[in-house]
Amino acid sequence: MARNRTYILYGLALVGFVLLPQLISVKYYIHLSVLALIWVIAAQGQNLIQGYTGYVSIVQAGFMGIGAYSTALMGMHFDLPVWLSIIIAPFVTAFFALLTGYPSLRVKGHYFAIVTLAFNMVIFIVLMNFHQLTHGEAGITGIPKPGGKDALFNWRDRETYYYFVLIIAALMTGLAALIVRSRIGQILVAIRQNEDLVGAVGIAAWKYKLFAFVTSAMFAGLAGAIYAHYQSFINPEIFGIAQSLDAILAVIIGGSGTIAGPIIGAFFVVFLPEYLRFADSFRLILYGLVLVLATIFMPRGIAGIARDLMEKRRGRT
Amino acid sequence: MVEVLQQIINGIAIGGVYVLIALGLTTVFGILGIAHFAHGSVSMFGGYLTFFFVTSWGFPLLLAILIALLVGLMLGVLIELLAYRPVRDANHINAFIVALGLTMMVEGINLELFGHEQVVIPTDFSRVFNFGGVTIPELRLYVILAAALLIAAMTVFVERTKTGQAIRAVAENRDAAILMGVNVKTIPLVVFAISTALGVCAGVMVGSLFAIAPGIGEGLVVKGFAVLILGGLGSIPGAVVGGLVLGITEALAAGFISSAYKDVIAFVVMISVLLFRPQGLMGKA
Repeated sequence: MARNRTYILYGLALVGFVLLPQLISVKYYIHLSVLALIWVIAAQGQNLIQGYTGYVSIVQAGFMGIGAYSTALMGMHFDLPVWLSIIIAPFVTAFFALLTGYPSLRVKGHYFAIVTLAFNMVIFIVLMNFHQLTHGEAGITGIPKPGGKDALFNWRDRETYYYFVLIIAALMTGLAALIVRSRIGQILVAIRQNEDLVGAVGIAAWKYKLFAFVTSAMFAGLAGAIYAHYQSFINPEIFGIAQSLDAILAVIIGGSGTIAGPIIGAFFVVFLPEYLRFADSFRLILYGLVLVLATIFMPRGIAGIARDLMEKRRGRT
Repeated sequence: MVEVLQQIINGIAIGGVYVLIALGLTTVFGILGIAHFAHGSVSMFGGYLTFFFVTSWGFPLLLAILIALLVGLMLGVLIELLAYRPVRDANHINAFIVALGLTMMVEGINLELFGHEQVVIPTDFSRVFNFGGVTIPELRLYVILAAALLIAAMTVFVERTKTGQAIRAVAENRDAAILMGVNVKTIPLVVFAISTALGVCAGVMVGSLFAIAPGIGEGLVVKGFAVLILGGLGSIPGAVVGGLVLGITEALAAGFISSAYKDVIAFVVMISVLLFRPQGLMGKA
């Protein structure tokens, strides 16, 4: 019964997302919604490692950067079609995640967070300084949109891209839900709750942690690749630590360890700074304050609060 | 050879700054289990404050540092009371997220109060000493000496005084410490006051040796944690060794390989240590 109701809710949400472009008249909000949907993909990945496995990784934006640059560079140097380079990009990201995940998963808790943060710094520094490949701070321009001249859809139209990203975000959300429901997902949650016990019953926890880390990186790589082709322009600026913190914030605000959480959280982190624009330079302070207050007063996020409310109502009737 | 020595001296100066930051982080972590990520930004706040007193109000450097220390001390206490205490019993991830939020706030406050131009704290130590071809600017020498003095003072405080003993007791076993009559409500305040004061000293050193600018604090705190990972958790000797290793590696990398990639090389060293000694150079297995 409860599960049916959840499906109905997700169905309604999906209908809402499909209708959204028809409801918004301001083009700029459609643009923000596309960005938010891209963030949904990245946040679902972040949620796998942070929300379910309990390891805070601060490299999600760095992995988005690897995805974005690899799809752009593959298109430029190997003349690959856009759809193919978007598909390959997550695997390039996975390669780097494997290399970095193995040593960093040897430390726990805060130290894992710091090591991943160091990776994000390394990625950023390399993107900034490896001019021959990345053009440094100036970035890469003229990244092609999907579809050629005689494509079925007009990819320059924001609405078209919105639906394209919506489909992928929905698929990736479904994939995250499948992973979480599977035996692997159960083991990830078990690792969060008591890693020693997981080891004690004979499960090699590090394999599952590495799986969660690499999968989350692939989500990020895909998000980055889609972002690159949407904006047609990338530079290192948007793949820094601040953006990785946004991914963490999205998971916390939305509700960590829930499937709905990252969706809510992603829209939150994209739209909130826009609304705080009036505050200008106070924005950073307010943003930090929201983060601190949210963590202290609603540690289970918006999805957690919503679930509590629903259960309370059900209990009463 | 002289060139190598020169870079090592440079590395010791910056390594000393890292050690001071790491000492603050390691004591906070030991007591509260919190990765106090805002530490770097708070330290920079102290550096900015010193700069402000010296340039705008014409205070002598030492007085300015003293006031900045006191303000930093109070800020540290406030942070503990208002931000970290409420999440004390929650999941550790929450405390870390609070720390990230605090970092944004303090960075924002720094930006609001002091602007985004980089500032250098003016000092009149401009002499340069020369020891057999190795040159040491006067300022750099003082920074090394001051860092050494502070590290020694911190060691004596933690190892020899009653309060230091209480701090170690809480770090080792919180419940047993309560039973022994240690006031676990005030200990975190003391720890935050001291570590913030050390951080402010590091901020002043960075501000006079190099420059303070937005984002420097975040870079510094990451280096501080890298030092802890290198040296091993919760040990003062570990922090000293880790800080010097990191500082010297960075200086050598900047001097002989590439200054743009010096941080990358420093992190690669950290990761390699992690691969072979996950407990750190000085940590117990």
